[in-house]
Amino acid sequence: MFLQQLLNGLTLGSVYALIALGYTMVYGILELINFAHGEIYMVGAYLGIIFLGFFTAIGLTSYSLTLALFLTVLLSIIFCSSYGFTIEKIAYKPLRNAPRLSPLISAIGVSIFLQNYVMLTQGATDKVFPPLFENSAFEFLSVRITSIQLFIILTAGVLMILLRFFVRKTRMGKAMQAVAQDKTMASLVGININTIISITFIIGSGLAAVAGLMVAIYYGLVNYSIGYIAGIKAFTAAVLGGIGSIRGAMFGGIILGLVESLGAGYISSEYKDAYAFIILVIILLVKPEGLFGRGV
Amino acid sequence: MKIILPFPPLEKGGKGGFERYFKMKKVLFISLCFCLISFGCQKKEAVIKIGIAGPMTGDQAKMGSDFKNGVSIAVEEWNNRGGVLGKKIEIVISDDQHDPKQAVSVANKMVNDGVVGVIGHFNSSCSIPASDVYNRAGIPMISPGSHQSTTTEKGYKGVFRVCGRDDQQGKIAADFVITNLKFKQVAIIHDKTTYGQGLADEFKKSINGQIKVVYYGGIVQGDKDFKMVLTTIKGEKPELIFFGGIYPEAGLLVKQAKELGLTAKFMSGDGTIDPKFIEIAGSNTAEGAYLTFSPDPKNIPSAKEFIEKYQLKYGELGPYSIYAYDAMNILLTTIKDANTTDGKTVIDKLHTMEFTGALGKISFDAKGDVTESPYVVWITKGGKFVEYWRP
Repeated sequence: MFLQQLLNGLTLGSVYALIALGYTMVYGILELINFAHGEIYMVGAYLGIIFLGFFTAIGLTSYSLTLALFLTVLLSIIFCSSYGFTIEKIAYKPLRNAPRLSPLISAIGVSIFLQNYVMLTQGATDKVFPPLFENSAFEFLSVRITSIQLFIILTAGVLMILLRFFVRKTRMGKAMQAVAQDKTMASLVGININTIISITFIIGSGLAAVAGLMVAIYYGLVNYSIGYIAGIKAFTAAVLGGIGSIRGAMFGGIILGLVESLGAGYISSEYKDAYAFIILVIILLVKPEGLFGRGV
Repeated sequence: MKIILPFPPLEKGGKGGFERYFKMKKVLFISLCFCLISFGCQKKEAVIKIGIAGPMTGDQAKMGSDFKNGVSIAVEEWNNRGGVLGKKIEIVISDDQHDPKQAVSVANKMVNDGVVGVIGHFNSSCSIPASDVYNRAGIPMISPGSHQSTTTEKGYKGVFRVCGRDDQQGKIAADFVITNLKFKQVAIIHDKTTYGQGLADEFKKSINGQIKVVYYGGIVQGDKDFKMVLTTIKGEKPELIFFGGIYPEAGLLVKQAKELGLTAKFMSGDGTIDPKFIEIAGSNTAEGAYLTFSPDPKNIPSAKEFIEKYQLKYGELGPYSIYAYDAMNILLTTIKDANTTDGKTVIDKLHTMEFTGALGKISFDAKGDVTESPYVVWITKGGKFVEYWRP
C-alpha cells in the first residue's frame, strides 16, 4: 500500500513539476511570478479535448490513435506556446521597467481574463474527456500501474531531461542562463534579451500544455477553474525547490506530490490541500531560499 | 433674455466651469432617476411574480437549468389558461451560484421585487440561510431539491420541499445494504458539504451496530485525484463504498477505484443520479452502482404528459425537473384556492392541501416535509439508471 501511495504521489508530482518549471523559468529570468501560468495549463487541457474531438470526428483516432495523440500533443503545445508568447508581449513587456508590483497585477488580470474567456466559450460545466483506450493496468510488486500513469511519469521525465539538456548544453540555453544572471551584461555581449524572454515563455507554456493534456487524459474531467489550484500548487512546488532553479522545480513538484499522497493516505484526506502549504511554511522557516535555491 | 450656452465660460482660477456644469448634470441625472423610480412604483402590478432561485451558473449550472425548465413549463401552462387570480404569472429567475452568501442576497432582492412565493433554492446550503429571509417577509418557499434534514427544522412555517429528506435516504440505503446485499464491511466517504456529509452521517447512523464501518472520511469537492484515499480504503477491504456527494466526484471515485483494482460495490445518493456520472466513470465502470433516488417518473403514469412535453422542448429530462414542475403547480394551485397571494393565508393552506400532480399525491406535514418517504434504490445498467429495489 505504501508503494501504491508513492506511485500515486509520483504521478501527481510529475504534473506539478511540469507546471512548476514554467513558473521557475520565468521567475529566473524576469523575477516575475507569472500567475497566468496555471491558466495556460487549463487551456492546454481544453485544447486537448478539442483537438482529440476533432480527430475523432474526422476518423483519425480510429485509424491511428498514436498519430492522433501525437498531433494533439503537438498542436496543444503550439497553441499554448503562442498563448504564452502573446501574453508576455501584451501584458508583461510594456511593464518591464515598471515597479515589480505592476506586472504581478497584470498577471492576475490575465489569469482572470483567461478563466472567464474559457468559461464563456466552453461553458461552465465539467467537460468529459473521451475515453480513448481501455485503461489497462498491470500489477508489479502489488502495485497497480495504469498505462496512463506510466505515460505521465515517463513523458514528464523525458521532458525534464530534455529541458535540462537544452539549458545546459545548447547556445540558446546558455544565453538563457546568462540573461538570468545579469540582463544588462548579457545584452552587452550580444544576447537579444527579448528573444530569450519570449523563448522562456514559449517553453514554459509548452510544458504546461503537456501537463494539462496529461491531466485531462488521466482524470477525464476538465473545467475552467482547474488552473487556479494547480497553479498555486505548482507555485508552491517552485518555491519549495527554490524559485529560479530548474532542478528545484522538478524536485519540488515531486516532493509536493508525495507529501500530498502520503498525507492523504495516512493522516486524513480531508486536508489534502493543506499538507502542501504546511510543508511550504516549514521550508520557508528553515531554508528560506528553498531546497535548491541560491542564498539571497 | 439670457442665452444659455452648452458650456458655461471658463472662469479664471478656482473651480472650472466644466466642473460645475457636470455637477449640475449629475444632480439632474439623479433627480431624473428618482422620477423614473417613482413612476415604476406607481404602476400597479398586473402580474403575479414568483421567484426561482438556484445555481444557474457555475459548476452546478446544469441542475439550475433543469430546474428552471421544469418551472417554465408549469408557468407556461398556467399562463395559457389565463394565469392565476386573473393575472399572468411572471417568474423572477435568480442565480445563487450555490453560494450561501449569494443565496441570501438574491433572496432579499426577490423579496424587494415583490415575489409572492419562491420555488427554490436548490442546494440545502442555500435554502437554509435564504429561508430566514423568506420567513421574515412572510412568503412561502418550496424547494425542489434540498434534501438536508435541517432545511425544514428551523421552525419556519413557510418552508416546504417536494423532495425527500436525507435521513430518509440514508435509512433506505442502510436498509438495502443490510437486508438485500447482506454486506458486513463498508467504507463511507463524503464531500464535506451539508448535503454529502448529512447523507453519509445518516447512513452511518442507520447501519450502526449491524455493519462494520472500516473507513470514514471526507474528500474535497472539486478535487480530481482520489487515488490516495482509495488506496487506503483498498487496504481495509470493504464490500461497499458509500459516497455522500454529487456526480463529478462520484464518477471520478468509481473510475479511479477501478483503476486501482478495487472490487467493492459503489453506492451513493440522489446527487449522483446524472448522466454525467456514467459519462465520467465510463459506462462499463459505472455498471452496478447503487443509488438511492425517488421512484422513476417514467414509471409514474401521471408524469407521462409532463415528460413528453419536457423532452419535446428541452431534450433529456433532468433529475429534478419534475419536482420543480410540481412545486410550481402546488404553489399556484394553492394561491388559486386561497384566492389571494397573501403569504400567511397561502402558507396555512399549503399545510392542509392535498395535491395530485405529475409525481402523484403530495401533501405536507407540520414541518413542511412530504408526508410519504419517496425513496427507492436504483442501479446503473447498460449506461442507464434503472429502478432496482423498493423497501
